Amino acid sequence: MHTRSRQFLQLAQRAGFILSVMCPGLLAWAQADLPSAPMHQHARVDAGGCVGTELKCATAVTPAFDAHNNLWVAWVAGGAVSVARSTDLGRTFTAATIIGQYGESIDFGADAKPQLAIDAQGRAVMAYGVFKDKAYNAQIWIATSASIWEKDGPGFGVPRSLSSDPASQRFPVLSFTSTGRLFAAWLDKRTVARASKQGRAQAGAALAYAWSDDAGATFSGETIAEDNTCECCRLALAFDALRQPVIVFRAIYAEHERDPAVILLNSEGKPALLRRVAEDHWFIDGCPHHGPSVAVSADGALHAAWFTQGKARQGLFYARSENHRQQFSDAVPIGNVAQQPGRPSLLALGNHIWLAWKEFDGRHISIKEQYSNDAGRHWTNERIVAQTDHAADHPVLIAHDGAVFLSWATRDQGYRFIKLEAS
Amino acid sequence: MIRNSYASWLFSACAFVAQPASSTDVGTVRPFDRDSFTQIRSAYAHKPLVVHIWGLTCGPCLVELPKWGQMKKAHPDMNLVLIQADEGSVDAVKVAVEHAGLKGVESWSTRSELDEFERASIDASWVGDMPRTLLISADGVVTTIKGVVDQRVITRWLATHD
Repeated sequence: MHTRSRQFLQLAQRAGFILSVMCPGLLAWAQADLPSAPMHQHARVDAGGCVGTELKCATAVTPAFDAHNNLWVAWVAGGAVSVARSTDLGRTFTAATIIGQYGESIDFGADAKPQLAIDAQGRAVMAYGVFKDKAYNAQIWIATSASIWEKDGPGFGVPRSLSSDPASQRFPVLSFTSTGRLFAAWLDKRTVARASKQGRAQAGAALAYAWSDDAGATFSGETIAEDNTCECCRLALAFDALRQPVIVFRAIYAEHERDPAVILLNSEGKPALLRRVAEDHWFIDGCPHHGPSVAVSADGALHAAWFTQGKARQGLFYARSENHRQQFSDAVPIGNVAQQPGRPSLLALGNHIWLAWKEFDGRHISIKEQYSNDAGRHWTNERIVAQTDHAADHPVLIAHDGAVFLSWATRDQGYRFIKLEAS
Repeated sequence: MIRNSYASWLFSACAFVAQPASSTDVGTVRPFDRDSFTQIRSAYAHKPLVVHIWGLTCGPCLVELPKWGQMKKAHPDMNLVLIQADEGSVDAVKVAVEHAGLKGVESWSTRSELDEFERASIDASWVGDMPRTLLISADGVVTTIKGVVDQRVITRWLATHD
């Protein structure tokens, strides 16, 4: 960066810091709901100089399609959470709409990503974590739009807290059911806080969930589905053939064994089944910062992918369950274990399954992919979809109109949206 | 994940204003990059060294950090280097370090989350779990402890590596 530019940035940032100290409320909750301008910006940019809130500086990106074939992306950059729309599959985007600006308070954990869900009527919901104190307790903020197709922009209102509970909450996931109900799950420290008050030590966090019948305007029935979850690994959410939520998460077994588990909710929305996906025996009194992925194929089989450093196995693994999650197949190793395979993203389209993940060979970060056309029984050989020599986000797979795409933010190549071939 | 955002921007600004370039400087938080670990190893060549890696968003790390403060107080001659591996401002790192009783201990912090390249500069097999402690003997042998450390292990190691 040129010296003059750096000096300018320093001055600007110092001014911002002073502002944040003197006027924290002003900076933290400033709402810049900018209208979408007709001008377009290209997503791919040169590397370096990423100090702003634009998509090119994004540290974590989540894509979603609406019913009018628009690709929307939600991202975190420069302490802000933003969204933008693309009508050409990610080649160009509208000007960004900033949902909230939080500076250093935005959840910058390694496995945190803003969440975005859009239903068939164009109702949209965003969720993300924001730290609320110096102990890094967090709060989940929700922003909703009655119609993401509003003429003047996506129409998100002022963000508000998902829960009224004062305990720490992070790592939201949310999705609309096919009937238009909204389901949200997250990691919640309320039972840990309660145990602490009672003088009991309780590791990790709890898995909490709630439903909304008004597209996120209100949530009801906050429930702790399971205690003893890892507190720093993302959740994975899908719906089964009965439209019930299936969540794969990192549970804590015995003393600090952080292994993958699945929980199924029944038609009343209550926890109905809890199973360990694999007995990896990853003992760590610490944070893996590495959550799983889940998908459900048309034949009803559940597919899980996860990372472990357990006694039983180390690396990235895949398993499937054909009998309604009662049992999982043996864990199948994925990728090159010598190249840190991890950050899986599973996607099911009918009985076609895609699995993408990240690897690092010491010089390049690669996104690899493999594909199954028989619901995970057989897989193609892995292939490299994209590479970078610089820092990069975790991969996300998304389907639209019968095609599957990789969504990936890179520092040197900007935001990538790449169609995968089913071969 | 890329974490080069507002916080790292602030970090860069603070680092430029407040950080001397000397590798022997302690008491400030220095920006960690792909070359930093080599510098650390070089600065402590032929001396026993404890490197503790922690993160601002890692709950177990924050619970453990004050124990390192107690350990340093009990063993003031221990060569201890701290590396903060989450994104976060230099001020936030300073607050946490000082709160843990580790003020004055050589402290580094990544400009953004430690990416694959920076992690590999420390340990080619490290995938990002935290906390992590490296016990490096005077002859360069590295013993890695994953997760929160039983401080008695450190005490024993120090007794045999002074």
